Amino acid sequence: MAASSSSLFGIREEDQNLMKQQQHSSSTPTSSTAAAPLAPPPQKKKRNQPGTPNPEAEVIALSPKTLMATNRFICEVCNKGFQREQNLQLHRRGHNLPWKLKQKTTKEPKRKVYLCPEPTCVHHDPSRALGDLTGIKKHFSRKHGEKKWKCDKCSKRYAVQSDWKAHSKTCGTREYRCDCGTLFSRRDSFITHRAFCDALAQESARHQPNLSSLGSNLYGGTSNTGLALSHHHHQQQVVGPNIDHHHHNNQSTAADILRLGGGSGNARTGQFDHLLSPPSMGSSFGPAQSSAPFFINQDQSSQQYHHDQEQLQSKQFHGLMQFSDHQNNNSSSGGNLFNLPFLSNSNNSNNAGGTNSTNLLLHPDHQYNSNGGEGGSSLFSGHMMGGGGGDHMSSGNVSSLYSSQVQNNHHGAGAAVSHMSATALLQKAAQMGSTTSSNNTSASLLRSFGSTSSTKSERPAAAASLVPANLGGIFGGGSENENNLQDLMNSFAAGGSSSIFGTGSFGSGFHDVASRDEPKLPAVSIGAGSDRLTRDFLGVGQIVRSMSGGQQQTQIEHMSSLDSESNAAPSTQSFGGGGNF
Amino acid sequence: MTSPSLGSPYPWQRELKSEERGLCLIHLLLTCANYVAAGNLENANIALEQISLLASSDGDTMQRIAAYFTEALADRILKAWPGLYKALYSTRISSVSEEFLVRKVFFEMLPFLKVAYVLTNQAIIEAMEEEKMVHIIDLNSSEPAQWIALLHVLSARPEGPPHLRITGVHQQKEVLDQMAHSLTEEAEKLDTPFQFYPVVSKLETLDFEKLHVKTGEALAISSVLQFHSLLSSDDDFHRKKFSLESKNPNRVHSPGVLQMGQGRLGELLEKDMGKGYSPSPDSTSSSPLSPVGSVKMDSFLNAFWGLTPKLMVVTEQDSNHNGSTLMERLFEALYSYAALFDCLESTMSRNSLERMKVEKMLFGEEIKNIIACEGSERKERHEKLEKWIQRLDLAGFGNVPLSYYGMLQARKLLQGYGCDGYRIREENGCVLMSWQDRPLFSVSAWGCRK
Repeated sequence: MAASSSSLFGIREEDQNLMKQQQHSSSTPTSSTAAAPLAPPPQKKKRNQPGTPNPEAEVIALSPKTLMATNRFICEVCNKGFQREQNLQLHRRGHNLPWKLKQKTTKEPKRKVYLCPEPTCVHHDPSRALGDLTGIKKHFSRKHGEKKWKCDKCSKRYAVQSDWKAHSKTCGTREYRCDCGTLFSRRDSFITHRAFCDALAQESARHQPNLSSLGSNLYGGTSNTGLALSHHHHQQQVVGPNIDHHHHNNQSTAADILRLGGGSGNARTGQFDHLLSPPSMGSSFGPAQSSAPFFINQDQSSQQYHHDQEQLQSKQFHGLMQFSDHQNNNSSSGGNLFNLPFLSNSNNSNNAGGTNSTNLLLHPDHQYNSNGGEGGSSLFSGHMMGGGGGDHMSSGNVSSLYSSQVQNNHHGAGAAVSHMSATALLQKAAQMGSTTSSNNTSASLLRSFGSTSSTKSERPAAAASLVPANLGGIFGGGSENENNLQDLMNSFAAGGSSSIFGTGSFGSGFHDVASRDEPKLPAVSIGAGSDRLTRDFLGVGQIVRSMSGGQQQTQIEHMSSLDSESNAAPSTQSFGGGGNF
Repeated sequence: MTSPSLGSPYPWQRELKSEERGLCLIHLLLTCANYVAAGNLENANIALEQISLLASSDGDTMQRIAAYFTEALADRILKAWPGLYKALYSTRISSVSEEFLVRKVFFEMLPFLKVAYVLTNQAIIEAMEEEKMVHIIDLNSSEPAQWIALLHVLSARPEGPPHLRITGVHQQKEVLDQMAHSLTEEAEKLDTPFQFYPVVSKLETLDFEKLHVKTGEALAISSVLQFHSLLSSDDDFHRKKFSLESKNPNRVHSPGVLQMGQGRLGELLEKDMGKGYSPSPDSTSSSPLSPVGSVKMDSFLNAFWGLTPKLMVVTEQDSNHNGSTLMERLFEALYSYAALFDCLESTMSRNSLERMKVEKMLFGEEIKNIIACEGSERKERHEKLEKWIQRLDLAGFGNVPLSYYGMLQARKLLQGYGCDGYRIREENGCVLMSWQDRPLFSVSAWGCRK
């Protein structure tokens, strides 16, 4: 505790005074002082802060000169200066001048607070005034004064003599030097510094050579940052820096091997390994995650390790992205697993744009009336109307939606190969919703929901389309696909031995329903409330259907082409595909 | 929760693959939520039943999410019958230590809190440079790790450590005792002057006098995932207004329900729902666009402002879970909790008990609060960063940009997780943490505008 102890002491002195003063005020909570400091919370006034021990305290602003003057009290006869007025008075007695010693008053003296004369200093503000003269003096010299006391051993400079004295006593007795050249007199500072310095050096050596010097110099002193959450770890690092290095070597070779593996194998296998076994990736590449790495508690070697890993990953991902790009391209020509059906669907609706949108506009209305304001549809129509659905029917929306879908697909395809995360599932659901239902539904819903994410996310359109798209999927009754799906679902239900709602109300006539140019039909032929539900299930069914169809591309292709054709009927065919259920 | 492989009477459900099942669940959930929002209990019940066949609290991510969302939706329905609700919850044991442990797991397994702490600390360190007396008010003071880290940094300051005083606010005394113990111990080890002041209080009933803010000291306030609860206000007034407006168009009963031959109970319920259960401002088209000022929040911000903190660092969930309608909230919650559940999926095994506890006791409870509660009961009113910026700005705070160096540390930390899903980005001096593209948490620093 070399330098610090002295300065600590210094602070303590200063603070104790402060404390005393504050204790005064807070230890007499019933007196007038207590009421003043803690002004009622909801108050906007600035000066009258809670915590000001005594708002009536006299705020004293001394000039730098008076503050720095060692002998403020000058004898007018011999010009001798004194630090305290009392001393001057005693001195005046020698000149036979009138003199007066101040008596100790029983009254509490008027409290004084002192401002720092430096205008840029925080303590220049009366609200942050310091409570005693010594304190403000030391503060002023330390912060804004010349450091004229220099330690002979380490050349460290001090503005306050007592600080310098305290430092000199311990200087050189303990010393820690970091590789970056920074000197520490305290072991713990050194330790914390090392942890970060190493990490920083590692990183910058790789990335930006400039950074390392910047980091270590600029932040050298304070750079320990928040790394030190586990003290335990620290000690490890310090105790065996050599061991760390040793590790480092080992691991970097390991990393090299990994890298080799990544490089030598063809890129694609690498990707798939990674993608197919995410858990093993976590354990074999990553740090033991369950150990919950505190801040940057890995030693440098693992840092390095990470870095390699990161590179590796990014390589893979790069490859992957390209790969999925490729998929996407394919998909438009008809070969993709997942994307194809939806993409082609959306093309459909683009083509059918005019009719579709009218259908959609009509449909909710229709339902609304016939169902008498059943929840889903009322919400739908409410929002749709509220959102000014009509405005958003333009093809501009269509295209923007479309492009966002492409992005989504791109994204989704990456995640889809290994396992579907919930995030990806939601995206996919949204995507399908937006494509299977009409575009303007989603557009208008998008507005009415005013999804905030759209303004910020890097893929605004994609993000924004998610919400409404879901809605579309659910509410977008009247799009052709759903009707198909009803059929489909029906077949599920039938196969599953009982219809979901036990009503059997969907009897025959499904194929009729499926005639897509009749917006009213579905609502008519299918009952009311609960069949809304069914239809939603069916919507799901369709999604499920087309998803699983992913494995049988030909069928999907078939299906989607059927969808795109505007004649009714095809349900049986798609059922054929459904045989795998 | 019935296991899908055994319980489903429908063969097609049994054979669903994870992905298909997930999509199915999403749509069922939304369907169900619509019924709940509309007060159509009968159909909501059917949907819930369907979901229960597919959802599972120990299944894949979507199954788990669905399990908690259905629980929340059911909870919401149940609240229409306060007697029933209270009876069902009457014997519930809430364990403080258990909750505490769950938060600990959340802190340790996911990087978000740690990043928040790193950024908070860095901002404090930068603001407190050269300060001799540093006072930090820690709202919801329960995690010593953050301050231990800060102690280390401060003790290594070139100009020597300041006097550090931390006032910890928390409603459980034991938690504060624990904090005091570990922090003072650490400070002693470091030989850094340190004091810990416990203030046993809920945030919303906090007495500002107890914070003992003094002159001369530089004050910092740290709020991690706390402020949003202050937004909860008794918006009963609004609700009444809304439900009156919205009643007429929406309360026409679906004839279909009757057609389907539901029993008298069903009808009764329908009626009941129509009256007692008009679920809040839902299905109103006139949801207020401007952020409704919360009286409580405003007075708190004023009070904090009155303390003239040199710095206030605010971490919040960056989601819009404070929408006025159930559907809005459900959508948003679905997305953000999907991301959070995915985070857990990426780090913990599916059968990990700890993971299930975090999901149930932390995320699950939040979801329940977002979905099932209204008015002053609804505490999890997460809002997006831009709203917080607006609000804090109005309250007289000026943004203090987080430093490059703080970002560097945060990046480093995320890198340590060896998982590419976590992302972090700077936006107008604030920081957003995301999973994939989904922002989940925001950190911003503020000072008093002069």
